[in-house]
Amino acid sequence: MKYVIIGNSAAGVNAADAIRKNDKKGQITIISNEEFPAYGRPLISYYLSGKVKPENMSYRDASFYKSRKIDVLLNTEVTKIDSKNKKVITSGGKKIDYDKLLIATGSVPFVPPTNGLANQENVFTFLTYGESRRLKTAVNKNSKVVIVGAGLIGLKAAEGLFGQVAKITVLDLADRVMASVLDKPAAKLIQSHIEQNDIDFKLGVSVAEVVGEKKVSKVVLSNGESLLCDILIVAVGVRPNVALAKESGIKVNRAIIVDEYMQTSQKDIYAAGDCVESWDCLANACKVLALWPNASNQGETAGFNMSVGNKQKAPVSFAMNAISFFGLQLISAGIIGEANKNSIFDRAANKLRRLNIVDDKLLGYVLINDTQRAGIYTALINDKTKLSSLEYDITKKDIGLSVYPKASRVCKIWGQTK
Amino acid sequence: MKRVYAFENRCLGCGLCEVYCKTAHSKSKDIIKANRNENITSAIVIEEILQPKAVAYFALQCRHCDDAKCVKACIAGAMYKDENGVVRNDKDKCVACLSCLLVCPFGAVKKTEEGKTVSKCDLCIDFGAPACVENCPNGALKLLDDKEAEALK
Ligand SMILES: Cc1cc2nc3c(=O)[nH]c(=O)nc-3n(C[C@H](O)[C@H](O)[C@H](O)COP(=O)(O)OP(=O)(O)OC[C@H]3O[C@@H](n4cnc5c(N)ncnc54)[C@H](O)[C@@H]3O)c2cc1C
Ligand code: SF4
Ligand code: SF4
Repeated sequence: MKYVIIGNSAAGVNAADAIRKNDKKGQITIISNEEFPAYGRPLISYYLSGKVKPENMSYRDASFYKSRKIDVLLNTEVTKIDSKNKKVITSGGKKIDYDKLLIATGSVPFVPPTNGLANQENVFTFLTYGESRRLKTAVNKNSKVVIVGAGLIGLKAAEGLFGQVAKITVLDLADRVMASVLDKPAAKLIQSHIEQNDIDFKLGVSVAEVVGEKKVSKVVLSNGESLLCDILIVAVGVRPNVALAKESGIKVNRAIIVDEYMQTSQKDIYAAGDCVESWDCLANACKVLALWPNASNQGETAGFNMSVGNKQKAPVSFAMNAISFFGLQLISAGIIGEANKNSIFDRAANKLRRLNIVDDKLLGYVLINDTQRAGIYTALINDKTKLSSLEYDITKKDIGLSVYPKASRVCKIWGQTK
Repeated sequence: MKRVYAFENRCLGCGLCEVYCKTAHSKSKDIIKANRNENITSAIVIEEILQPKAVAYFALQCRHCDDAKCVKACIAGAMYKDENGVVRNDKDKCVACLSCLLVCPFGAVKKTEEGKTVSKCDLCIDFGAPACVENCPNGALKLLDDKEAEALK
Protein backbone atom coordinates (compact mmCIF):
# COMPACT_ATOMS: atom_id res chain seq x y z
CA MET A 1 0.00 0.00 0.00
CA LYS A 2 1.28 3.46 -0.90
CA TYR A 3 0.24 6.36 1.31
CA VAL A 4 0.97 9.94 0.35
CA ILE A 5 0.41 12.82 2.76
CA ILE A 6 0.54 16.44 1.62
CA GLY A 7 1.44 18.62 4.61
CA ASN A 8 3.88 17.86 7.40
CA SER A 9 2.25 19.40 10.45
CA ALA A 10 -0.29 18.47 13.14
CA ALA A 11 -2.67 16.64 10.81
CA GLY A 12 -0.06 15.08 8.51
CA VAL A 13 2.27 13.79 11.23
CA ASN A 14 -0.49 12.30 13.37
CA ALA A 15 -1.92 10.63 10.29
CA ALA A 16 1.43 9.07 9.41
CA ASP A 17 1.81 7.86 12.98
CA ALA A 18 -1.63 6.23 12.94
CA ILE A 19 -1.00 4.59 9.56
CA ARG A 20 2.26 3.08 10.76
CA LYS A 21 0.59 1.64 13.86
CA ASN A 22 -1.79 -0.32 11.65
CA ASP A 23 0.30 -1.03 8.61
CA LYS A 24 3.89 -1.98 9.30
CA LYS A 25 4.83 -2.50 5.66
CA GLY A 26 3.09 0.17 3.60
CA GLN A 27 5.10 2.95 2.05
CA ILE A 28 4.43 6.35 3.63
CA THR A 29 5.55 9.59 2.00
CA ILE A 30 5.00 13.02 3.53
CA ILE A 31 5.45 16.00 1.24
CA SER A 32 6.00 19.51 2.56
CA ASN A 33 6.81 22.76 0.84
CA GLU A 34 8.50 23.98 4.02
CA GLU A 35 12.18 23.47 4.67
CA PHE A 36 11.93 22.16 8.26
CA PRO A 37 10.87 18.85 9.75
CA ALA A 38 7.50 19.13 11.55
CA TYR A 39 7.53 21.83 14.21
CA GLY A 40 5.00 23.23 16.65
CA ARG A 41 3.48 25.95 14.51
CA PRO A 42 2.13 27.86 17.53
CA LEU A 43 5.71 27.98 18.81
CA ILE A 44 6.86 30.43 16.16
CA SER A 45 6.11 33.37 18.47
CA TYR A 46 8.11 31.70 21.24
CA TYR A 47 10.99 31.35 18.81
CA LEU A 48 10.67 35.02 17.92
CA SER A 49 10.91 36.06 21.57
CA GLY A 50 13.80 33.68 22.19
CA LYS A 51 11.83 31.64 24.72
CA VAL A 52 12.08 28.51 22.58
CA LYS A 53 15.44 27.65 21.02
CA PRO A 54 15.61 26.15 17.50
CA GLU A 55 16.45 22.70 18.89
CA ASN A 56 13.14 22.65 20.75
CA MET A 57 10.95 23.69 17.83
CA SER A 58 10.55 20.17 16.46
CA TYR A 59 7.19 18.50 17.02
CA ARG A 60 8.63 14.99 17.26
CA ASP A 61 12.06 13.70 18.22
CA ALA A 62 14.83 13.47 15.64
CA SER A 63 14.29 9.75 15.02
CA PHE A 64 10.56 10.05 14.35
CA TYR A 65 10.56 9.69 10.56
CA LYS A 66 13.31 7.13 10.40
CA SER A 67 12.07 4.89 13.18
CA ARG A 68 8.66 4.74 11.53
CA LYS A 69 10.06 4.37 8.05
CA ILE A 70 8.40 7.51 6.79
CA ASP A 71 9.88 9.21 3.73
CA VAL A 72 9.76 12.99 3.90
CA LEU A 73 10.19 15.26 0.95
CA LEU A 74 10.90 18.76 2.26
CA ASN A 75 11.01 21.90 0.09
CA THR A 76 8.66 20.13 -2.28
CA GLU A 77 5.40 21.65 -3.46
CA VAL A 78 2.60 19.49 -4.76
CA THR A 79 1.21 21.29 -7.80
CA LYS A 80 -1.40 18.82 -8.94
CA ILE A 81 -3.45 15.85 -7.80
CA ASP A 82 -4.26 13.52 -10.67
CA SER A 83 -6.98 11.49 -9.02
CA LYS A 84 -7.78 9.50 -12.15
CA ASN A 85 -4.32 8.00 -12.32
CA LYS A 86 -3.76 8.23 -8.55
CA LYS A 87 -0.67 10.39 -8.71
CA VAL A 88 0.47 13.64 -7.22
CA ILE A 89 2.75 15.87 -9.21
CA THR A 90 5.37 18.09 -7.61
CA SER A 91 6.85 21.41 -8.68
CA GLY A 92 9.98 19.58 -9.79
CA GLY A 93 7.84 17.52 -12.16
CA LYS A 94 8.13 14.38 -10.06
CA LYS A 95 5.14 12.02 -10.17
CA ILE A 96 4.35 10.08 -7.02
CA ASP A 97 1.84 7.23 -7.00
CA TYR A 98 -0.60 6.74 -4.17
CA ASP A 99 -3.23 4.24 -3.14
CA LYS A 100 -4.48 6.50 -0.35
CA LEU A 101 -3.92 10.22 -0.25
CA LEU A 102 -4.25 12.69 2.61
CA ILE A 103 -4.59 16.40 2.00
CA ALA A 104 -3.36 18.18 5.13
CA THR A 105 -2.42 21.48 3.58
CA GLY A 106 -3.53 23.65 6.50
CA SER A 107 -4.09 27.36 6.25
CA VAL A 108 -2.72 30.20 4.19
CA PRO A 109 -2.52 33.77 5.41
CA PHE A 110 -5.19 36.12 4.13
CA VAL A 111 -3.73 39.38 2.84
CA PRO A 112 -6.48 41.83 1.90
CA PRO A 113 -5.87 43.91 -1.21
CA THR A 114 -4.52 47.24 0.04
CA ASN A 115 -3.29 50.32 -1.80
CA GLY A 116 0.48 50.32 -2.05
CA LEU A 117 1.01 46.97 -0.35
CA ALA A 118 2.23 44.93 -3.31
CA ASN A 119 5.94 44.25 -3.73
CA GLN A 120 7.09 45.83 -0.48
CA GLU A 121 10.10 44.14 1.09
CA ASN A 122 9.38 44.75 4.75
CA VAL A 123 5.94 43.14 4.85
CA PHE A 124 5.48 39.89 6.73
CA THR A 125 2.81 37.37 7.55
CA PHE A 126 3.15 35.21 10.63
CA LEU A 127 2.30 31.63 9.88
CA THR A 128 5.51 29.71 9.39
CA TYR A 129 8.81 29.13 11.14
CA GLY A 130 10.59 30.41 8.04
CA GLU A 131 8.64 33.67 8.20
CA SER A 132 9.34 34.02 11.92
CA ARG A 133 13.07 33.58 11.28
CA ARG A 134 12.99 36.13 8.50
CA LEU A 135 11.20 38.56 10.82
CA LYS A 136 13.67 38.00 13.63
CA THR A 137 16.60 38.96 11.44
CA ALA A 138 14.74 41.96 9.99
CA VAL A 139 13.95 43.74 13.27
CA ASN A 140 16.26 45.81 15.44
CA LYS A 141 16.05 48.11 18.47
CA ASN A 142 14.84 50.99 16.35
CA SER A 143 12.12 49.18 14.42
CA LYS A 144 8.66 50.69 14.38
CA VAL A 145 6.34 47.74 13.93
CA VAL A 146 2.73 47.90 12.79
CA ILE A 147 0.67 44.75 13.12
CA VAL A 148 -2.61 44.60 11.22
CA GLY A 149 -4.98 42.26 13.07
CA ALA A 150 -5.56 41.89 16.82
CA GLY A 151 -6.51 38.24 16.65
CA LEU A 152 -4.51 35.42 18.16
CA ILE A 153 -1.78 35.50 15.53
CA GLY A 154 -1.32 39.29 15.56
CA LEU A 155 -1.16 39.43 19.34
CA LYS A 156 1.25 36.52 19.47
CA ALA A 157 3.51 38.29 16.97
CA ALA A 158 3.38 41.40 19.19
CA GLU A 159 4.34 39.38 22.22
CA GLY A 160 7.15 37.69 20.35
CA LEU A 161 8.65 41.03 19.28
CA PHE A 162 8.21 42.74 22.63
CA GLY A 163 11.45 44.17 24.00
CA GLN A 164 13.30 43.79 20.70
CA VAL A 165 11.92 46.82 18.86
CA ALA A 166 11.22 50.52 19.49
CA LYS A 167 7.47 50.51 19.00
CA ILE A 168 4.62 48.11 18.37
CA THR A 169 1.15 49.23 17.26
CA VAL A 170 -1.65 46.73 16.69
CA LEU A 171 -4.64 47.68 14.50
CA ASP A 172 -7.97 45.99 14.03
CA LEU A 173 -11.20 46.74 12.28
CA ALA A 174 -13.15 45.25 15.19
CA ASP A 175 -13.82 47.18 18.37
CA ARG A 176 -11.89 44.73 20.51
CA VAL A 177 -9.02 42.27 20.51
CA MET A 178 -9.66 38.63 19.58
CA ALA A 179 -13.13 39.60 18.49
CA SER A 180 -13.96 36.19 17.09
CA VAL A 181 -13.27 34.43 20.39
CA LEU A 182 -13.95 36.91 23.19
CA ASP A 183 -16.76 39.09 24.46
CA LYS A 184 -16.13 42.70 25.42
CA PRO A 185 -15.27 42.39 29.13
CA ALA A 186 -12.82 39.55 28.52
CA ALA A 187 -11.28 41.33 25.54
CA LYS A 188 -10.92 44.53 27.55
CA LEU A 189 -9.10 42.68 30.31
CA ILE A 190 -6.65 41.15 27.86
CA GLN A 191 -6.13 44.41 26.02
CA SER A 192 -5.31 46.43 29.13
CA HIS A 193 -2.90 43.77 30.27
CA ILE A 194 -1.08 43.89 26.95
CA GLU A 195 -1.12 47.71 26.95
CA GLN A 196 0.78 47.69 30.22
CA ASN A 197 3.60 46.25 28.21
CA ASP A 198 3.83 49.30 25.99
CA ILE A 199 1.99 47.92 23.04
CA ASP A 200 -0.45 50.39 21.45
CA PHE A 201 -3.83 49.49 20.07
CA LYS A 202 -5.86 51.27 17.43
CA LEU A 203 -9.23 49.60 17.17
CA GLY A 204 -12.10 50.17 14.79
CA VAL A 205 -9.73 51.22 12.02
CA SER A 206 -8.37 49.68 8.86
CA VAL A 207 -5.41 50.42 6.63
CA ALA A 208 -6.33 52.88 3.89
CA GLU A 209 -2.94 53.02 2.26
CA VAL A 210 0.60 51.82 2.59
CA VAL A 211 3.27 54.37 1.64
CA GLY A 212 6.82 53.65 0.51
CA GLU A 213 9.02 52.75 -2.46
CA LYS A 214 10.03 49.08 -2.20
CA LYS A 215 9.90 49.47 1.58
CA VAL A 216 6.93 50.56 3.64
CA SER A 217 7.69 53.75 5.56
CA LYS A 218 4.24 54.85 6.61
CA VAL A 219 0.78 53.38 7.08
CA VAL A 220 -2.27 55.61 6.58
CA LEU A 221 -5.36 54.54 8.52
CA SER A 222 -9.03 54.78 7.60
CA ASN A 223 -9.49 57.58 10.16
CA GLY A 224 -6.84 59.70 8.46
CA GLU A 225 -4.18 59.10 11.05
CA SER A 226 -0.78 57.88 9.86
CA LEU A 227 1.87 55.78 11.56
CA LEU A 228 5.57 55.58 10.83
CA CYS A 229 6.41 52.00 10.06
CA ASP A 230 9.42 49.97 9.02
CA ILE A 231 8.06 46.50 9.68
CA LEU A 232 4.50 45.69 8.64
CA ILE A 233 2.94 42.42 9.77
CA VAL A 234 -0.33 41.38 8.15
CA ALA A 235 -2.24 39.08 10.49
CA VAL A 236 -5.87 39.68 9.64
CA GLY A 237 -6.70 36.03 9.40
CA VAL A 238 -6.13 32.72 7.71
CA ARG A 239 -8.00 30.87 5.01
CA PRO A 240 -8.22 27.13 4.44
CA ASN A 241 -5.63 26.10 1.88
CA VAL A 242 -7.92 24.42 -0.64
CA ALA A 243 -6.52 25.32 -4.06
CA LEU A 244 -5.08 21.86 -4.79
CA ALA A 245 -8.25 20.06 -3.77
CA LYS A 246 -10.47 22.39 -5.73
CA GLU A 247 -8.48 22.02 -8.94
CA SER A 248 -8.66 18.27 -8.77
CA GLY A 249 -12.43 18.30 -8.52
CA ILE A 250 -12.79 17.52 -4.82
CA LYS A 251 -15.87 19.12 -3.29
CA VAL A 252 -15.01 22.31 -1.47
CA ASN A 253 -17.17 24.78 0.37
CA ARG A 254 -15.32 27.35 2.43
CA ALA A 255 -12.98 24.44 3.11
CA ILE A 256 -12.73 20.84 1.93
CA ILE A 257 -15.87 18.84 2.63
CA VAL A 258 -15.24 15.56 4.42
CA ASP A 259 -17.44 12.90 5.95
CA GLU A 260 -17.14 11.70 9.54
CA TYR A 261 -14.32 9.37 8.47
CA MET A 262 -12.38 12.33 7.04
CA GLN A 263 -12.87 11.10 3.49
CA THR A 264 -13.41 13.72 0.79
CA SER A 265 -15.91 13.49 -2.03
CA GLN A 266 -13.42 11.26 -3.82
CA LYS A 267 -12.71 7.73 -2.79
CA ASP A 268 -9.23 7.10 -1.37
CA ILE A 269 -8.63 10.81 -0.85
CA TYR A 270 -8.87 12.04 2.73
CA ALA A 271 -8.37 15.48 4.22
CA ALA A 272 -7.78 16.73 7.76
CA GLY A 273 -6.87 19.78 9.81
CA ASP A 274 -7.20 23.48 9.02
CA CYS A 275 -8.06 22.80 5.38
CA VAL A 276 -11.36 21.02 6.12
CA GLU A 277 -14.78 21.96 7.40
CA SER A 278 -15.50 20.22 10.68
CA TRP A 279 -18.87 19.50 12.15
CA ASP A 280 -19.14 21.85 15.13
CA CYS A 281 -21.33 19.87 17.52
CA LEU A 282 -22.38 22.98 19.47
CA ALA A 283 -23.19 25.26 16.58
CA ASN A 284 -24.72 22.31 14.70
CA ALA A 285 -23.04 23.53 11.56
CA CYS A 286 -19.93 22.94 9.53
CA LYS A 287 -17.16 25.28 10.52
CA VAL A 288 -13.49 25.80 9.91
CA LEU A 289 -11.93 25.12 13.29
CA ALA A 290 -8.31 26.09 12.73
CA LEU A 291 -6.92 24.63 15.92
CA TRP A 292 -4.00 22.38 16.70
CA PRO A 293 -5.88 19.74 18.76
CA ASN A 294 -8.55 19.49 16.09
CA ALA A 295 -5.94 19.02 13.36
CA SER A 296 -4.07 16.29 15.22
CA ASN A 297 -7.28 14.44 16.13
CA GLN A 298 -8.54 14.55 12.58
CA GLY A 299 -5.16 13.56 11.21
CA GLU A 300 -5.11 10.52 13.43
CA THR A 301 -8.64 9.54 12.42
CA ALA A 302 -7.82 9.95 8.74
CA GLY A 303 -4.64 7.90 9.08
CA PHE A 304 -6.50 5.16 10.90
CA ASN A 305 -9.21 4.96 8.25
CA MET A 306 -6.73 5.12 5.39
CA SER A 307 -4.97 2.06 6.75
CA VAL A 308 -7.84 -0.11 7.99
CA GLY A 309 -10.91 1.10 6.08
CA ASN A 310 -13.52 3.57 7.27
CA LYS A 311 -14.13 2.41 10.81
CA GLN A 312 -13.33 5.29 13.12
CA LYS A 313 -15.29 8.51 13.30
CA ALA A 314 -13.52 11.76 14.09
CA PRO A 315 -14.06 12.97 17.66
CA VAL A 316 -16.66 15.70 18.03
CA SER A 317 -15.21 19.15 17.80
CA PHE A 318 -15.91 22.68 18.88
CA ALA A 319 -13.87 25.82 19.30
CA MET A 320 -11.37 25.83 22.15
CA ASN A 321 -8.24 27.68 22.95
CA ALA A 322 -5.56 27.95 25.61
CA ILE A 323 -3.29 30.90 25.18
CA SER A 324 -1.21 33.28 27.23
CA PHE A 325 -0.14 36.87 26.68
CA PHE A 326 2.58 38.32 28.86
CA GLY A 327 1.78 35.89 31.63
CA LEU A 328 -1.98 36.39 31.45
CA GLN A 329 -3.55 33.00 30.92
CA LEU A 330 -6.70 32.63 28.87
CA ILE A 331 -8.69 29.48 28.28
CA SER A 332 -11.96 29.43 26.40
CA ALA A 333 -14.13 26.75 24.86
CA GLY A 334 -17.44 26.28 23.15
CA ILE A 335 -19.96 29.02 22.62
CA ILE A 336 -19.20 31.75 25.12
CA GLY A 337 -22.46 33.62 24.61
CA GLU A 338 -23.28 37.08 25.91
CA ALA A 339 -22.00 38.31 29.25
CA ASN A 340 -24.52 36.98 31.73
CA LYS A 341 -25.07 36.28 35.37
CA ASN A 342 -22.69 33.39 35.59
CA SER A 343 -19.68 35.67 35.49
CA ILE A 344 -17.22 35.89 38.29
CA PHE A 345 -15.16 38.92 37.46
CA ASP A 346 -12.34 39.93 39.77
CA ARG A 347 -10.82 42.92 38.07
CA ALA A 348 -8.25 43.56 40.79
CA ALA A 349 -6.72 40.14 40.40
CA ASN A 350 -7.19 40.22 36.62
CA LYS A 351 -9.36 37.15 36.94
CA LEU A 352 -12.45 36.18 35.06
CA ARG A 353 -14.54 33.06 35.05
CA ARG A 354 -17.64 32.91 32.95
CA LEU A 355 -19.80 29.90 32.28
CA ASN A 356 -22.39 29.95 29.53
CA ILE A 357 -25.19 27.72 30.70
CA VAL A 358 -28.19 27.13 28.48
CA ASP A 359 -31.01 24.63 29.09
CA ASP A 360 -29.25 22.77 31.89
CA LYS A 361 -26.08 22.33 29.87
CA LEU A 362 -22.71 24.01 29.78
CA LEU A 363 -22.24 25.42 26.29
CA GLY A 364 -19.01 27.31 26.77
CA TYR A 365 -16.72 29.17 29.13
CA VAL A 366 -14.02 31.81 29.39
CA LEU A 367 -11.39 31.64 32.11
CA ILE A 368 -8.72 34.24 32.63
CA ASN A 369 -6.00 33.62 35.22
CA ASP A 370 -8.29 31.12 36.91
CA THR A 371 -7.80 28.07 34.82
CA GLN A 372 -7.45 25.16 37.18
CA ARG A 373 -8.98 21.93 35.95
CA ALA A 374 -10.56 23.62 32.94
CA GLY A 375 -10.64 20.26 31.17
CA ILE A 376 -13.50 19.13 33.38
CA TYR A 377 -15.61 22.01 32.04
CA THR A 378 -14.53 21.02 28.53
CA ALA A 379 -15.69 17.47 29.23
CA LEU A 380 -19.08 18.73 30.47
CA ILE A 381 -19.49 20.59 27.17
CA ASN A 382 -18.24 17.66 25.13
CA ASP A 383 -20.49 15.11 26.84
CA LYS A 384 -23.50 17.47 26.92
CA THR A 385 -23.88 16.53 30.58
CA LYS A 386 -27.12 17.58 32.26
CA LEU A 387 -25.99 19.93 34.99
CA SER A 388 -28.94 18.98 37.19
CA SER A 389 -27.54 15.45 37.36
CA LEU A 390 -24.39 16.70 39.08
CA GLU A 391 -23.53 16.86 42.76
CA TYR A 392 -23.26 20.63 43.02
CA ASP A 393 -23.97 23.86 41.21
CA ILE A 394 -20.93 24.49 39.04
CA THR A 395 -21.39 28.25 39.23
CA LYS A 396 -21.00 28.15 43.01
CA LYS A 397 -17.90 26.07 43.55
CA ASP A 398 -14.57 25.34 41.88
CA ILE A 399 -14.83 22.48 39.47
CA GLY A 400 -13.55 19.02 40.38
CA LEU A 401 -14.30 15.40 39.62
CA SER A 402 -16.33 15.40 42.84
CA VAL A 403 -18.96 17.17 40.78
CA TYR A 404 -19.90 13.78 39.32
CA PRO A 405 -22.12 11.42 41.33
CA LYS A 406 -20.17 8.59 42.87
CA ALA A 407 -21.15 5.93 40.34
CA SER A 408 -20.06 7.92 37.31
CA ARG A 409 -16.99 9.25 39.08
CA VAL A 410 -15.79 5.75 39.89
CA CYS A 411 -16.63 4.66 36.39
CA LYS A 412 -14.50 7.47 34.97
CA ILE A 413 -11.51 6.96 37.22
CA TRP A 414 -11.56 3.19 37.34
CA GLY A 415 -13.09 2.40 34.02
CA GLN A 416 -11.47 2.11 30.66
CA THR A 417 -9.61 5.37 30.46
CA LYS A 418 -10.53 6.16 26.90
CA MET B 1 -0.46 -0.88 31.96
CA LYS B 2 -0.33 0.03 35.64
CA ARG B 3 -1.92 3.15 37.07
CA VAL B 4 -2.41 4.59 40.52
CA TYR B 5 -5.91 4.05 41.91
CA ALA B 6 -7.42 5.79 44.92
CA PHE B 7 -9.66 4.16 47.51
CA GLU B 8 -12.11 6.78 48.65
CA ASN B 9 -13.12 4.94 51.79
CA ARG B 10 -9.55 4.90 53.03
CA CYS B 11 -8.32 8.36 52.13
CA LEU B 12 -8.14 10.88 54.99
CA GLY B 13 -7.09 13.79 52.80
CA CYS B 14 -3.90 14.15 54.84
CA GLY B 15 -1.85 15.30 51.85
CA LEU B 16 1.17 13.09 52.52
CA CYS B 17 1.01 11.76 48.97
CA GLU B 18 1.59 15.29 47.73
CA VAL B 19 4.54 15.74 50.07
CA TYR B 20 6.16 12.57 48.75
CA CYS B 21 5.28 13.38 45.16
CA LYS B 22 7.16 16.66 45.50
CA THR B 23 10.11 14.91 47.11
CA ALA B 24 10.33 12.33 44.34
CA HIS B 25 10.34 15.08 41.75
CA SER B 26 12.84 17.30 43.54
CA LYS B 27 16.53 17.77 42.89
CA SER B 28 17.55 17.04 46.45
CA LYS B 29 15.21 14.04 47.01
CA ASP B 30 15.16 15.26 50.58
CA ILE B 31 11.71 15.60 52.08
CA ILE B 32 12.45 18.78 54.04
CA LYS B 33 14.50 20.56 51.38
CA ALA B 34 12.13 19.54 48.61
CA ASN B 35 9.04 20.81 50.35
CA ARG B 36 10.55 23.90 51.90
CA ASN B 37 13.08 25.23 49.40
CA GLU B 38 12.31 23.75 46.03
CA ASN B 39 9.29 25.22 44.35
CA ILE B 40 7.70 21.98 43.14
CA THR B 41 4.09 21.41 42.22
CA SER B 42 2.78 17.98 43.08
CA ALA B 43 1.17 15.93 40.35
CA ILE B 44 -1.74 14.98 42.57
CA VAL B 45 -5.07 16.66 43.20
CA ILE B 46 -6.74 15.86 46.49
CA GLU B 47 -10.46 16.14 46.08
CA GLU B 48 -12.97 16.74 48.78
CA ILE B 49 -16.38 15.12 48.52
CA LEU B 50 -19.00 16.82 50.62
CA GLN B 51 -21.43 14.29 51.98
CA PRO B 52 -24.53 14.89 54.08
CA LYS B 53 -22.77 14.03 57.32
CA ALA B 54 -19.07 13.81 56.66
CA VAL B 55 -16.37 14.82 54.27
CA ALA B 56 -14.58 12.21 52.20
CA TYR B 57 -11.46 12.55 50.12
CA PHE B 58 -9.63 10.95 47.28
CA ALA B 59 -6.33 11.63 45.56
CA LEU B 60 -6.31 11.86 41.80
CA GLN B 61 -3.44 11.43 39.36
CA CYS B 62 -3.21 11.32 35.61
CA ARG B 63 -5.03 8.25 34.25
CA HIS B 64 -2.48 7.71 31.46
CA CYS B 65 -5.39 7.44 29.04
CA ASP B 66 -5.12 4.99 26.17
CA ASP B 67 -6.25 7.75 23.86
CA ALA B 68 -4.60 10.65 25.65
CA LYS B 69 -6.27 13.92 24.71
CA CYS B 70 -3.43 15.93 26.25
CA VAL B 71 -0.91 14.40 23.85
CA LYS B 72 -3.04 15.29 20.85
CA ALA B 73 -3.57 18.83 22.08
CA CYS B 74 0.04 19.61 22.89
CA ILE B 75 1.30 22.28 20.50
CA ALA B 76 4.94 21.65 21.30
CA GLY B 77 5.25 17.88 21.19
CA ALA B 78 6.13 18.10 24.89
CA MET B 79 3.41 15.75 26.07
CA TYR B 80 4.00 12.25 24.80
CA LYS B 81 3.22 8.62 25.47
CA ASP B 82 6.33 6.55 25.99
CA GLU B 83 6.81 3.00 24.76
CA ASN B 84 5.32 1.66 28.02
CA GLY B 85 2.16 3.69 27.72
CA VAL B 86 3.16 6.24 30.36
CA VAL B 87 2.10 9.76 29.41
CA ARG B 88 5.01 12.08 30.14
CA ASN B 89 5.85 15.74 29.90
CA ASP B 90 9.18 16.89 28.49
CA LYS B 91 9.95 19.92 30.64
CA ASP B 92 12.53 21.24 28.17
CA LYS B 93 9.91 21.48 25.44
CA CYS B 94 6.83 22.49 27.42
CA VAL B 95 5.91 26.18 27.08
CA ALA B 96 3.07 26.13 29.64
CA CYS B 97 0.44 27.00 27.03
CA LEU B 98 -2.07 24.84 28.94
CA SER B 99 -3.61 23.24 25.86
CA CYS B 100 -3.29 19.94 27.71
CA LEU B 101 -5.06 21.33 30.74
CA LEU B 102 -7.82 22.58 28.45
CA VAL B 103 -8.64 19.06 27.25
CA CYS B 104 -7.82 16.70 30.13
CA PRO B 105 -11.24 15.44 31.23
CA PHE B 106 -9.89 14.52 34.66
CA GLY B 107 -8.38 17.87 35.47
CA ALA B 108 -5.17 15.95 36.12
CA VAL B 109 -2.73 18.51 34.71
CA LYS B 110 -1.65 21.43 36.85
CA LYS B 111 0.19 24.57 35.95
CA THR B 112 3.35 24.63 38.07
CA GLU B 113 3.91 27.31 40.69
CA GLU B 114 6.81 28.81 38.78
CA GLY B 115 4.58 28.83 35.71
CA LYS B 116 7.06 27.59 33.13
CA THR B 117 5.76 24.05 32.70
CA VAL B 118 2.98 21.78 33.84
CA SER B 119 2.93 19.06 36.43
CA LYS B 120 1.28 15.69 36.01
CA CYS B 121 1.84 12.17 37.25
CA ASP B 122 4.63 10.27 35.49
CA LEU B 123 4.32 7.23 37.75
CA CYS B 124 7.71 8.25 39.21
CA ILE B 125 9.30 6.60 36.23
CA ASP B 126 12.72 8.16 36.90
CA PHE B 127 12.45 7.63 40.62
CA GLY B 128 11.49 3.99 40.84
CA ALA B 129 8.05 3.21 42.22
CA PRO B 130 5.29 5.78 42.68
CA ALA B 131 6.19 7.63 45.88
CA CYS B 132 2.56 8.38 46.73
CA VAL B 133 1.63 4.71 46.75
CA GLU B 134 4.68 3.72 48.79
CA ASN B 135 4.07 6.34 51.42
CA CYS B 136 0.32 6.59 51.91
CA PRO B 137 -0.11 5.67 55.58
CA ASN B 138 -3.67 4.51 54.98
CA GLY B 139 -3.19 2.27 52.00
CA ALA B 140 -5.53 4.52 50.06
CA LEU B 141 -3.43 4.45 46.91
CA LYS B 142 -2.54 1.34 44.95
CA LEU B 143 -0.61 0.72 41.77
CA LEU B 144 -2.71 -1.72 39.77
CA ASP B 145 -2.85 -3.09 36.27
CA ASP B 146 -6.14 -3.11 34.37
CA LYS B 147 -7.13 -6.60 35.53
CA GLU B 148 -6.38 -5.96 39.19
CA ALA B 149 -8.25 -2.69 39.04
CA GLU B 150 -11.28 -4.33 37.44
CA ALA B 151 -11.36 -6.92 40.23
CA LEU B 152 -11.21 -4.29 42.97
CA LYS B 153 -13.57 -1.78 41.37
C1 LIG C 1 1.29 32.05 15.33
C2 LIG C 1 0.27 30.95 15.49
C3 LIG C 1 -0.16 30.60 16.75
C4 LIG C 1 -1.10 29.58 16.91
N1 LIG C 1 -1.47 29.24 18.18
C5 LIG C 1 -2.35 28.24 18.37
C6 LIG C 1 -2.73 27.82 19.67
O1 LIG C 1 -2.25 28.35 20.68
N2 LIG C 1 -3.61 26.80 19.81
C7 LIG C 1 -4.16 26.18 18.71
O2 LIG C 1 -4.97 25.26 18.89
N3 LIG C 1 -3.82 26.54 17.47
C8 LIG C 1 -2.94 27.55 17.26
N4 LIG C 1 -2.60 27.91 15.99
C9 LIG C 1 -3.24 27.19 14.86
C10 LIG C 1 -2.53 25.88 14.55
O3 LIG C 1 -1.16 26.12 14.35
C11 LIG C 1 -3.15 25.19 13.35
O4 LIG C 1 -4.49 24.91 13.64
C12 LIG C 1 -2.44 23.90 12.97
O5 LIG C 1 -1.11 24.15 12.65
C13 LIG C 1 -3.14 23.19 11.81
O6 LIG C 1 -2.42 22.07 11.43
P1 LIG C 1 -2.55 21.43 9.99
O7 LIG C 1 -1.73 20.19 10.03
O8 LIG C 1 -3.97 21.32 9.60
O9 LIG C 1 -1.94 22.48 8.97
P2 LIG C 1 -0.65 23.41 8.98
O10 LIG C 1 -0.01 23.45 10.31
O11 LIG C 1 -1.07 24.70 8.39
O12 LIG C 1 0.34 22.66 7.99
C14 LIG C 1 0.09 22.48 6.63
C15 LIG C 1 1.39 22.20 5.92
O13 LIG C 1 1.16 21.84 4.57
C16 LIG C 1 2.10 22.47 3.75
N5 LIG C 1 1.55 22.57 2.39
C17 LIG C 1 0.44 23.26 2.02
N6 LIG C 1 0.22 23.12 0.69
C18 LIG C 1 1.21 22.34 0.22
C19 LIG C 1 1.54 21.83 -1.08
N7 LIG C 1 0.80 22.11 -2.15
N8 LIG C 1 2.63 21.06 -1.20
C20 LIG C 1 3.40 20.75 -0.14
N9 LIG C 1 3.13 21.19 1.12
C21 LIG C 1 2.05 21.97 1.30
C22 LIG C 1 2.27 23.82 4.42
O14 LIG C 1 3.43 24.48 4.04
C23 LIG C 1 2.31 23.41 5.89
O15 LIG C 1 3.59 23.03 6.27
C24 LIG C 1 -1.64 28.92 15.78
C25 LIG C 1 -1.21 29.29 14.51
C26 LIG C 1 -0.27 30.28 14.34
C27 LIG C 1 0.19 30.63 12.97
S1 SF4 D 1 -3.20 14.24 31.56
FE1 SF4 D 1 -5.40 13.84 31.47
S2 SF4 D 1 -5.81 13.43 29.28
FE2 SF4 D 1 -3.61 13.23 29.59
S3 SF4 D 1 -3.31 11.05 29.94
FE3 SF4 D 1 -3.48 12.05 31.96
S4 SF4 D 1 -5.65 11.88 32.49
FE4 SF4 D 1 -5.49 11.45 30.29
S1 SF4 E 1 1.39 23.16 28.62
FE1 SF4 E 1 3.22 22.08 27.89
S2 SF4 E 1 2.60 19.93 27.74
FE2 SF4 E 1 0.73 21.15 27.93
S3 SF4 E 1 0.10 21.48 25.80
FE3 SF4 E 1 1.34 23.26 26.37
S4 SF4 E 1 3.42 22.75 25.75
FE4 SF4 E 1 2.25 20.85 25.74
